Amino acid sequence: MPRDRTKSHDRQRKNFPDRLGSLVLGSGLEETFGSDIGKELDTFQPHGFGSDREGLGDWEDEGDRDVDGVVGDGGEGCLGNREVIGTSGSDRVSVLEVIAADEKRSDLEYELSQEEINLEKLQRIASKGLPDGDGSRARVWKLLLGYLPPSRNLWDKELAENRQKYAKLKEELLISPSESARRRIEGFRSFEQESDSGESDGPLQRREISQEDHPLSLGKASVWHQFFQNTEIMDQIDRDLQRTHPDMKFFSGETPTSRKHRAAMRNILLLFAKLNPAIRYVQGMNEVLAPLYYVFSTDINEQNAANAEADSFACFVRLLSDSVDHFCQQLDNSAVGILSTLSRLSELLRANDEELWRHLEFTTKVKPQFYAFRWITLLLTQEFDFKSILRIWDSFLGNPFGVQDMLLRVCCAMLLCVKSQLLSGDFIANLKLLQHYPEINIEHLLHVAMDLTPDTSSYRVWL
Amino acid sequence: MVLVLALGDMHIPHRAPDLPAKFKSMLVPGKIQHIICTGNLCFKEVHDYLKTLCPDLHISRGEYDEETRYPETKTLTIGQFKLGVCHGHQVIPWGDLDSLAMLQRQLDVDILVTGHTHQFTAYKHEGGVVINPGSATGAYSSITYDVNPSFVLMDIDGFRVVVYVYELIDGEVKVDKIDFKKTTTTNAH
Repeated sequence: MPRDRTKSHDRQRKNFPDRLGSLVLGSGLEETFGSDIGKELDTFQPHGFGSDREGLGDWEDEGDRDVDGVVGDGGEGCLGNREVIGTSGSDRVSVLEVIAADEKRSDLEYELSQEEINLEKLQRIASKGLPDGDGSRARVWKLLLGYLPPSRNLWDKELAENRQKYAKLKEELLISPSESARRRIEGFRSFEQESDSGESDGPLQRREISQEDHPLSLGKASVWHQFFQNTEIMDQIDRDLQRTHPDMKFFSGETPTSRKHRAAMRNILLLFAKLNPAIRYVQGMNEVLAPLYYVFSTDINEQNAANAEADSFACFVRLLSDSVDHFCQQLDNSAVGILSTLSRLSELLRANDEELWRHLEFTTKVKPQFYAFRWITLLLTQEFDFKSILRIWDSFLGNPFGVQDMLLRVCCAMLLCVKSQLLSGDFIANLKLLQHYPEINIEHLLHVAMDLTPDTSSYRVWL
Repeated sequence: MVLVLALGDMHIPHRAPDLPAKFKSMLVPGKIQHIICTGNLCFKEVHDYLKTLCPDLHISRGEYDEETRYPETKTLTIGQFKLGVCHGHQVIPWGDLDSLAMLQRQLDVDILVTGHTHQFTAYKHEGGVVINPGSATGAYSSITYDVNPSFVLMDIDGFRVVVYVYELIDGEVKVDKIDFKKTTTTNAH
C-alpha cells in the first residue's frame, strides 16, 4: 500500500478494524503484521507495544474476572489474590508502558499541586487515562465537571458550601412527614415549656390541626400527600438500585455498607427526581450515577469519601445537564432529543466510513435506534466492564468539546472496530453483536475515537 | 413511620348503611400499614372493604358481629409499642378506666384500643394509654343516640406516637392531633 497517496490515511484507518477484529477473536497479532503496516504502526505507538497488546488484553480479562468489586489496583480494600493477578499482569507489560504510566502519574500530580490548575492540560492528561487506586481520579473528575474551582485555595470553601447546600436540600425535600411533624411539636413544646415525661394521668391533650396536616389529607399542598406520591418513585428507584452492578459487592448484597451505598444513591436520585419534575426518574439514571458515586466514595481522603453523597449529587446534576433531554420522552423527536443525537451518530459514521454506514443503514437496516439508544443515554455504562467504564469516562470528561462529543466519537469507533464482523453479518447477527458488544482493548478504541474525522455536515460548531 | 388505622362499631347494616362519604374519600389503599378494628362491623362486606384498604387487619369480636370467629382480644407489636384490641362490652362498667386498666395489665400492652361506648376518648391511665376510636359511622350505642362519626389514625415512629383523631361534626371533618412518647421506664405491673 503506497503511503504517499492522499487516501492512505483513510486506508490505514480501514485496516485497523480488521486487525482489531482478529484481536477480538483472540488470535495473535503477529501473523497479521505486514512490513508496511508495521511501519504505519510507528506513527501511533512504539513497536514494542504490539507484542504487549496481548498482555494488556489479558490484563483486561483478569480485571473482568474480579468479582469482588475492587476495581483499583492497589489502594484500599485490595485482596491478596487480586494483588497476585496484578503482578502477573505487570510482568508482561513492557518497560515502556511502566515508564509511560509513571510519567502520566507525575504529570498529573504536578498539575494537581498547582495553585491555579490549568483545566486544558488536565483534560489532556485525563484523556490519556487516570490512575486507579489513589484519590486522583475523584479529584480530576470533580475539577473537570466544574464542581471544584480551578483555584486550589477556594476548594475548601466550595466543598463546605456545596455539602451544606445538599444537606439542606435533603432536609427540605426528603424528610418524612412524621419527622417534620415531630420537629414542629418539639419546637412548640419547648416554647410552652411543657415537659412530657411528668404528665399525670388523665385525658390526653388534643390539639387542633389544619386540614393539610394529617396523613390522609388529599390536599396538594399537604406534606403527607406529596410524601405518598413520592413513594411510587422511590419504589422504582429501589428496584433499579437492586439491579445495579450485581457483580460488585460495593453495590449489591445485603451487607450494611452496600445498603448504605444504595440508600445514598436512592437519596441522590430521589432528590434529582424532585428537583426535575419534568423528567422525574427514568430507569437507567442509576447506571449513570454508579461510576460517579463509586469513584467518590473510594477516595483515599477520608473526608471526601464521607461526603461522597453530596459530591456525587452535584456532579451527577452537572454530568446530566447536557444529556438530560435524552431522557425526556416528549423531546424524542425534537432537535435536542435522542433521535436527533442518534442521527448525528449516523452522520458521523457516514463521514468516516461510508461503506460501513451504507451496509448498516440500507443493506442490513440496522438503525442506530436499535443499538445505540442505550449506548448514548447511559453513557456506555452497560457495554463494558466497570474498570473500562472508568477509563472511558476519563476520556469523556477530558474532551475539550464536551462529553456528548466524545460519546458520539466512541460510539462510532465501536462500530468501526467491529467493522469486519458487521460487514459480513445480516440484520440479526449485527444486532446481536452490537447489543452485546464484544470485549475490546479500550485504549485502542479510544485512539480510534480520537482520530475520527468530525462530521462537518452537523450544525455543531467545530472550532 | 407506620400508619395504623383504628376504628370500629360501624354496625353496618343494622344501625347505619355505610361509612360517611367524607371518610370514605380519605381512606384510600396504599397509605395505611395496619388496621385495628374494635368490633361490631357487623357483616362480611365491611370486612372485605377494610381488607382492600390494607391487608393487615386485626379485629376483635363485638357482641353484634355476625362472624363468630374473631377473637375476644388481640395483641400486636408495632415499632416499640405493644397494642391491644378488645371490643369492650366484656369490661364492666362499660368505659370505666380502672377496669380497662385491669384489662390492659392483663394483656400487657402499652396502648389499649377499645370501643363499645361509641365515644372517642384518649386517656393516659396508670402507665398506659387507652384509646377509644368511637363509631366510624356514628351509629347509636346502647348508651346514647348522640354520636359523631369518628376514627383514629396512629403514626407510630420509634418511641413516639402521633394520634390523629378524625371526627365528622356537622358535616365537616375535623382533625385533631395527640402525641405521646413511650418512656423507657416500663409500665408498673
